[in-house]
Amino acid sequence: MPFEFTPERRAHLDDLLTHYPTKRAATLPALHLAQAQNGYISQDVMEHVAELLDLSPAQVQDVVTFYPMFFQEPVGKHIIRVCKTLPCMLCDCKKVLDHLRESLEVEVEGTTADGNFTLLEVECLAACDQAPVMMVDEDLYGNLTPEKIDEILGGITGKAAPAKAERRHGRG
Amino acid sequence: MAEAKERRILYENLDVPGIHTLDVYRKHGGYASLEKVFAIPPDDHITLVKDSGLRGRGGAGFSTGMKWTLMNRQIEPRYLCCNADESEPGTFSNRYILQNKPHMLIEGIIACCWALGIHTAYVYCRGEFTLAKKRLDAAILEAYAAGILGESVAGSGFALDVYTHSGAGAYICGEETGLIESLEGKRGQPRNKPPFPAVQGLFMKPTCVQNVETLSNLPFIVNNGLDWYKGMGSVYTDVPRTAGDPVNTGTKLYCVSGHVEKPGVYEVELGITAQDLIDMASGVRGGNRVKAVIPGGSSAPVLTPYELDCPLDFTSLGLAKSMLGSGGIIVMDETVCTVSALLNLMEFYAHESCGQCTPCRSGTPWVRDITKRIEAGHAKPGDIEQLIDVANQIANVDTFTWNTICVFGIAVSWPAVSFARKFRPEFEAHILNGECTVLPLEEAITPPEQNYAYPRPQVTVVQQPKWH
Ligand code: SF4
Ligand code: FES
Repeated sequence: MPFEFTPERRAHLDDLLTHYPTKRAATLPALHLAQAQNGYISQDVMEHVAELLDLSPAQVQDVVTFYPMFFQEPVGKHIIRVCKTLPCMLCDCKKVLDHLRESLEVEVEGTTADGNFTLLEVECLAACDQAPVMMVDEDLYGNLTPEKIDEILGGITGKAAPAKAERRHGRG
Repeated sequence: MAEAKERRILYENLDVPGIHTLDVYRKHGGYASLEKVFAIPPDDHITLVKDSGLRGRGGAGFSTGMKWTLMNRQIEPRYLCCNADESEPGTFSNRYILQNKPHMLIEGIIACCWALGIHTAYVYCRGEFTLAKKRLDAAILEAYAAGILGESVAGSGFALDVYTHSGAGAYICGEETGLIESLEGKRGQPRNKPPFPAVQGLFMKPTCVQNVETLSNLPFIVNNGLDWYKGMGSVYTDVPRTAGDPVNTGTKLYCVSGHVEKPGVYEVELGITAQDLIDMASGVRGGNRVKAVIPGGSSAPVLTPYELDCPLDFTSLGLAKSMLGSGGIIVMDETVCTVSALLNLMEFYAHESCGQCTPCRSGTPWVRDITKRIEAGHAKPGDIEQLIDVANQIANVDTFTWNTICVFGIAVSWPAVSFARKFRPEFEAHILNGECTVLPLEEAITPPEQNYAYPRPQVTVVQQPKWH
């Protein structure tokens, strides 16, 4: 079925459009909304967004491919972003990444077999005072240790919300 | 020297519970500037900010008041873009303003918009700043409900709308024209300048782009006046104008990260030395010695232990051939391999180049690859020269010239050349030994007399920072 915004999200987008003198300016906000609904930006999503904003699908794709936060392929239910830039490197972020790779049995940019987690390495998350740092979905966690990571991930898998389960697009 | 102390102005009350809400913010003196700001005619307001010596805190350090005088105020509408895309490695002070004191930013936005006759402001927020954006959005709603934003700001008759806009993880959107392109719904690729945004910016209209910290200073300048503001910081008397504006007024949010005992944001009057700042952060972890300090976010040329007496302000760091930039201070202790540190940064830059200019698009991965070779011990003699040469072709650090569209080029070559020159013995040891070799501190560093950044001119500071 082709992608379409839910009525609430569509209303949200209509409101956002009033913020700008051009429709095109709403491209990033529209893509954020679409990704929240669909999990990633598919061809369908790009076409739908393009139509709503009076753009060509190519113009939307141009944007999608530029920004690392937009996924072009299905991803896990939860996204883990581990910072690897210098201040985090100095505070041993490699250990964080190794621990995640081993305990989740997944490589960087891969999704766990159960489709729960996608593991990403990212550049500085602007929380270098709490290095090493990771984000899981919208939440930031700092001063990480292997124990702390286990606790955080345990908490998440334990309470996997059904609403989020809907956007499951695991590769596994 | 007397022990350095914090001077919290912007960060005052940062930890008060609920300070991100309007009520608590007001209880602690918030929005006091609204009573004064509309009494100051816009032209006088611009003069006030110019005279205060406030310099942009986002990286370039350009005089804020001067930037405002360049604005074309004949054309309507005009826009303000608040740059909250904080992504310079080592920098994290804006995050806490957005998360804890979003109303302070709104107060600053009002002051700026009044001065420039702007009725629409966008806050371009990092996509990853989820809590920050939530708090800012909530604060904006509160402000509308309380009549602080909207048709008539605080009953002044001046209309102002403020909107937030989320980025999506691209470093280059922190560059002012990259930010504008991104806001317009395109790839965040910087524009050629001129025309400058002040003439033709967002939606082709005159636009002022200003960092979160810069805007947050404005309410305090309006409230407490010129003399108060100019009483903080350091002023140099015998520095030629070409070395930049020798005025360094106010406080700075220094972000200290890396190998210090207590990383965090320290708000101090401009002019504190690197050593003092490290001491404030309770020194280097485990009692180790400092090997390298990057003073202004990862784009700034690195400092060696010989340069720790350098005041961390726009003028002094400029004279030391480095820069204050965003104020991100990354401290590395003696266990660090400087080649690996540089490699980490070059991976960052190679990933973040927007790809428009050939020297940057091809040169940056090239510099990364040479660094990688050296780090892994596969390099050959001459590779250090090649590294410096390729970096200098992206942007020449000695002549300070480049053929790229934006300053990203110099942000790449500054760390590359400074690391390779200042820690040359360690780079050579890697090549010689064919493996990663961390030299003892004394041996790893090029002696100051052979260092391109020396001799540092001696200058007089008339207004020493006062530690209260
Ligand atoms: S210098 Fe680099 S980042 Fe800047 S416009 Fe050119 S390619 Fe893009
Ligand atoms: S380097 Fe990891 S958060 Fe900045």
